[in-house]
Amino acid sequence: MMMPGKYLTFINRFSKTGQTGLIIVGIVFFMAIFAPLISVHSHKLSSGPPLSSPNGEHILGTDELGVDLWAQICFGSRISLVIGMGTALLAGSCGGLIGVLAAYSGGMTDRILMRIIDIITVLPDLPVMIVLAAFFGPGLINIIIVLSLFSWVATARIVRSQVLQLKEQLYIKSAETYGAGTWYLMKRHFLPEIFPLVAVSMIRLTGKAIVAEAGLSFLGLGDPASGSWGLIIHHATSFTGIYYTNFWKWWLIAPWIALTLMVSSLAFISRDFERFADPRMDRRKNRYQKQ
Amino acid sequence: MNKVKILGSIFLIMLISFIFYVNSNKKREEPENRKPIINSPFEVDTIRLPGGDWGYPSPYAHYPRGPGGFKMCLIFDSLLERDEKGLIPWLAVNYEIQDNGKKFLFTLRDGVKWHNGKPLTMEDVKFSLLYASKHPMTWSYIFNKIETVEITDKNKVLVIVTNPGPVMLYNLGRTRIIPRHIWEKVNVPKEFTATEAVTGCGPYRLTEYSKEHGTYRFEAFKDYWGPAQRVKTLEFIPVSESILAFEKGEIDMSGLPTDILPRFLNDTRYKIVKSPGFWGYRLLFNMGETSSLKDKKVRQAISYGIDLDELVAKIARGAAIPGSAGILPPDHVMYNPFVMSYSRNLKIAKGLLSKAGYDLLNDKGLRKNKAGKVLSFQVLCSGREVRMVQILKERLFEIGININIQSVDGKTRDARVRNHEYQMAITGHGGWGADPDYLKIRFGHDFSRSNSPSVSGLPGYNNDTLNLLFHQQHMEMNKEKRRKIVFRIQEMLAEDVPDLPLFYTTGFTVFRPEKYNGWEFMFDHHSLAHSKLSYLEKKIRK
Repeated sequence: MMMPGKYLTFINRFSKTGQTGLIIVGIVFFMAIFAPLISVHSHKLSSGPPLSSPNGEHILGTDELGVDLWAQICFGSRISLVIGMGTALLAGSCGGLIGVLAAYSGGMTDRILMRIIDIITVLPDLPVMIVLAAFFGPGLINIIIVLSLFSWVATARIVRSQVLQLKEQLYIKSAETYGAGTWYLMKRHFLPEIFPLVAVSMIRLTGKAIVAEAGLSFLGLGDPASGSWGLIIHHATSFTGIYYTNFWKWWLIAPWIALTLMVSSLAFISRDFERFADPRMDRRKNRYQKQ
Repeated sequence: MNKVKILGSIFLIMLISFIFYVNSNKKREEPENRKPIINSPFEVDTIRLPGGDWGYPSPYAHYPRGPGGFKMCLIFDSLLERDEKGLIPWLAVNYEIQDNGKKFLFTLRDGVKWHNGKPLTMEDVKFSLLYASKHPMTWSYIFNKIETVEITDKNKVLVIVTNPGPVMLYNLGRTRIIPRHIWEKVNVPKEFTATEAVTGCGPYRLTEYSKEHGTYRFEAFKDYWGPAQRVKTLEFIPVSESILAFEKGEIDMSGLPTDILPRFLNDTRYKIVKSPGFWGYRLLFNMGETSSLKDKKVRQAISYGIDLDELVAKIARGAAIPGSAGILPPDHVMYNPFVMSYSRNLKIAKGLLSKAGYDLLNDKGLRKNKAGKVLSFQVLCSGREVRMVQILKERLFEIGININIQSVDGKTRDARVRNHEYQMAITGHGGWGADPDYLKIRFGHDFSRSNSPSVSGLPGYNNDTLNLLFHQQHMEMNKEKRRKIVFRIQEMLAEDVPDLPLFYTTGFTVFRPEKYNGWEFMFDHHSLAHSKLSYLEKKIRK
């Protein structure tokens, strides 16, 4: 267990932007976990007059059905986090495993896997995602699967190249000579080395997945009952002539700000994590600063 | 840190410019109104309207919804046409109804030419009616109800029908006349999309169509027999936001949401017209597959549970009339205002569900019967109706019914409704102002071969008394007697609720009268742009 002091030291290692990102993501986590407590009104049922501007009763106003927007933002953060983390976990772990498998087994398996990765890399992801989302139908799990299908490749590539490097290290060679099995090597040497890399790409994937889900929802391909931030934006922009009214000032801006803050924060955090995972970056940075 | 500041400032500037841009739209200069062209027989050179792909505009290949069908009608004329008051002579100069609606004698107009210059003959008329009864057109009205068609004189054609009745005049009159020399060789008309497939004798010729871009271009046919065209070219172009496109002068007419009315209301440059409520949304019940919906009490309870006024206020933003359980809308000439009405009443709704056997509640507050069957339905809808279903879900939950939203794209929804692959569905379409014989098609199992989304049939529903009344109104020639029968039908439908009209939209349309002011409605239709007469002189040219 890390002591509180250690937490502070850990947080202090982050840059200013990274710390801001941590605070914002922390707030979003807080909103997601305590959504029922911090929102007075329901996020699904109408609780006020339709399209009322922000006021004491509804701090972010209401949408055209009279549903409180603050409640929708709070509960929507759950969807964004579930989709972001779900995709990151699924794509990150699958990508990691495939990367290790390709590098470790080499030969034909490696070649086949690499060609598959090449194909998926060159496919334009959004159009294919739209087709897949329309084909599988809306639903949280489906969206996570569709997003993961395109997100694992980057992780797999990075992990593969790292494992290829490791394989050539003398200590691995000597461990092999002493009769270390695949599983032992994996557990003892490879996984601890590649874990920070996978963690970084997972954070990056989280942000990407949140944006992709918002994109699909915005296009009307998300789960219509999910209530994600992207879906709020979709409903707002589907309201005919919204820009000619004042409604966009609260109905559209609120989810947009939530989404932008969350994704930027994740990007800041992942940048700092990358630095931790690859100390060379830090050294480069220091050298650069000295010059 | 400086970089962050610079980025922040750029972002702020972009945000502020965006806000100013949106607000400044209000003051944007109007495009100069184009004046009538000098030395041209046309009043306006080009009218542009919102496009989108609605299929190839042949009578067989267009998509079965208003924007598809009415483009086809610009190319193809029919024996009769519809103006603001009713049916008017068109290709037929007059008609006689004989033998209590068994026989219809049409006298045809001389000098009508096809777009390829060939003359329209009596043989073409005979061929069209027989061909349409053999191969139903996308918008079919006659199916196989024609016994024979005889050419009795050089310009007279006698049509004998199998099901006599006054409505056959309306159905025969609206059937498109197609050239025999082109279509007689066609065996699969739906697949015939050659250039000749759009050779008609109507006022406009199709000169451009792009399925990918959703664009159409029609040009006035110079040898047209009828009233002179006032508009030389009609173009349908894709627009993303129709109000914006209208303001910028890219299109000449647009639908107007209620919230934006004030923007155009007191401006003399614009004319705003309110549409009659002939376009409506229905909640369909599949009584074939879903056993609980077979029970009238459950359907009635659902009707009592829904708040139609709320739907009008929130979804249509006030621009609609709440649905009448008697189906025909209040703007219809045969509307019965005394049918049973289902104002929201939770007590009655819950009572009805208890009577239907759903008197127990599960842990989620949903009603179930003694066998443990919970009242839970999937409602099929397209993306546009998701918000409507969300309201239904909220309201029906209050009486213990669960709704799961199943959202698909519009064309898939239409296809699934046609194939009866749903439990409950929401569909919206026009045609509510048509002859009340459509009630027979909707509820009397007479939908066999139509593609129209309004004619989907209701699986599992059958009411013998209603079927008899449908038959009687179909045959009745006396207007007053027929009205009484139709009134009775509406009362029975309101009690049975085989489907539930949610609301009929009465949206607003805005256009610039200075540019073009010839728009008019058809007596049974909601759209100004769909009437062929909107583009023609009011007086028939001799």
